Amino acid sequence: MNTMKSVLIIGIQGALAKITTQELVKKYPRLKIHGVDSREIIDAPKGKNFTYEKIKYSRTHFEKIFREHEFDTILHLGRLGHTLIKRNNLPKNINVNLVSTITILDLAQKYSCKKVVILSSYHVYGAHPDNPMFLKEDAPLRGSYKYAELRDGVEMDHMCTNWMWKNQNEIETIVLRPCNIIGPKIKNSMTQYLTTPYAPVPLDYNPLIQFVHELDMASIIVKAAENFKTGIYNVADDDVITLSDAVKIMGIKKMKVPIFLIEQFAKMITPFWPFPHYLIDYLKYPSTLDNTELKKNLGENFFTFNSKERIASLVKNNK
Amino acid sequence: MQQKIKKLKEYLQNHYGEKTDPWGLHPKRVLENFKKIWPIYHNYFDVRIHGKINVKKRPYMVVSNHTGQIPIDAILITTAFASELRFPRILRPLVERFLISLPFFGRWSNETGAVLGDRHNCLNLLKRGESVLVFPEGVKGISKNTKDFYKLQPFTRGFIRMAITSGVDILPVAVTGAEEFYPYVVQMKRLAKFLKLPALPLSPNLIPLPSPVDIFIGKAYSLPKNLSPDALDKELDEHILKIEKQIKMLLEEGLKKRRTIVARLKR
Repeated sequence: MNTMKSVLIIGIQGALAKITTQELVKKYPRLKIHGVDSREIIDAPKGKNFTYEKIKYSRTHFEKIFREHEFDTILHLGRLGHTLIKRNNLPKNINVNLVSTITILDLAQKYSCKKVVILSSYHVYGAHPDNPMFLKEDAPLRGSYKYAELRDGVEMDHMCTNWMWKNQNEIETIVLRPCNIIGPKIKNSMTQYLTTPYAPVPLDYNPLIQFVHELDMASIIVKAAENFKTGIYNVADDDVITLSDAVKIMGIKKMKVPIFLIEQFAKMITPFWPFPHYLIDYLKYPSTLDNTELKKNLGENFFTFNSKERIASLVKNNK
Repeated sequence: MQQKIKKLKEYLQNHYGEKTDPWGLHPKRVLENFKKIWPIYHNYFDVRIHGKINVKKRPYMVVSNHTGQIPIDAILITTAFASELRFPRILRPLVERFLISLPFFGRWSNETGAVLGDRHNCLNLLKRGESVLVFPEGVKGISKNTKDFYKLQPFTRGFIRMAITSGVDILPVAVTGAEEFYPYVVQMKRLAKFLKLPALPLSPNLIPLPSPVDIFIGKAYSLPKNLSPDALDKELDEHILKIEKQIKMLLEEGLKKRRTIVARLKR
């Protein structure tokens, strides 16, 4: 078990990072936490052992941080989401997700950190008609076949896993690939889609979807930092739900239209609202995860929220 | 019919509860669908099922010949297994990727029990105690020209490896009467390839003719316990040939007793 004393959290401005910080503090009141982000840091959890700084994601800045603190654990939760990303932001994405990530990994090794936890996403697998139900960790990463927006995420995942196996004898690295993280504080493409009343739902497709609650996800990140072995872990519950059932629980009246109309609608609104086009595939085809590896570490009944409760938490927040 | 609905409802409730299963089967939709299909199954195709006694209360890999240009045979077999047996069950047909990706049809087939024909899906379903329906002839079986009707196409080997892995018995099934849904067919193979379709049959009738259908269920075939799923092809071929032979015999028996459309209309 990794006994944490000093943790670096990358992407502290993200809701999940803040929840994870609170989770860490609950368990380790004396833990030193240093949070960094390239965005303004607002409303981060306060504590005498917490320090935060807004930095430019460059080698110089990261090196300075690693020199000044003796981190034993790195939580890399700083992957940029795709919801608000315009195509002309792709170079920035690639810089954050790839160049910064490899810099952090190299520095973690150089400064003798014990553990690195990296947050990837189930989007790396892609949603395809020939996806088997329950994708295992060794399934091919086909997320970027059609969508450039997902290319950096897939490449980052590939890069991290390659690095992880190459350096497995020196540093423990964990790559987490969670399904849709939802909760009152999380703002990603799925939560926005579910809570937006005018976002239509497909009439001709009804894929199965998995959700993980933000609090469960934060607990899993902490558990991963504590005692997961080097490897890749899908994060999802056995509980799957159809898109139409999820929308029903939300209780928002949504227009049901054939998927080709949603595709056309998405093209029309793109200049005004950067709609993530890849999401349409996730409204058509399944991309559900096998959780056997996760269960080996967490046991059978780890998740505190079921699908209904996870979605219901969004409803409460939406009212 | 009411009694069959009641029995199926009970089975769905006990087996799946109210929830959608992980492969998208929706118990309520299955029941709604059954109510719609039954009149077609019973009155239009006049389906008869033989060899019910061979089906015991345990999961099977149901292996059938594939006929009829469009997969109506799968619908009829699943309806028969859901309603006519002492131990009803929802068979999970493993279907082509092309069908699953179609709008509306893909959704409907998933909600009523069909699953993408994938190794992982098949093994996971069998592990959960579900019975699966496979057509080892694949598209070649269903898309035949008139002159090749009822000629069994060579079986692929994947199904037998999955049966060995999961340890279930194979239940051979033969369907007669389905080839006559479209009695005159020409396969537009080149055009199908150009349009990236699995098959493109051309027939004078668009709607299937009311050919009476007979479903023959053979005796379950148990694979030897010492057979490895990684066995060489030649070790498996011996068993595949035996299963093929069993289905051929059922087919021959069915074709001898075949009921024709004309006789049915006269009646």
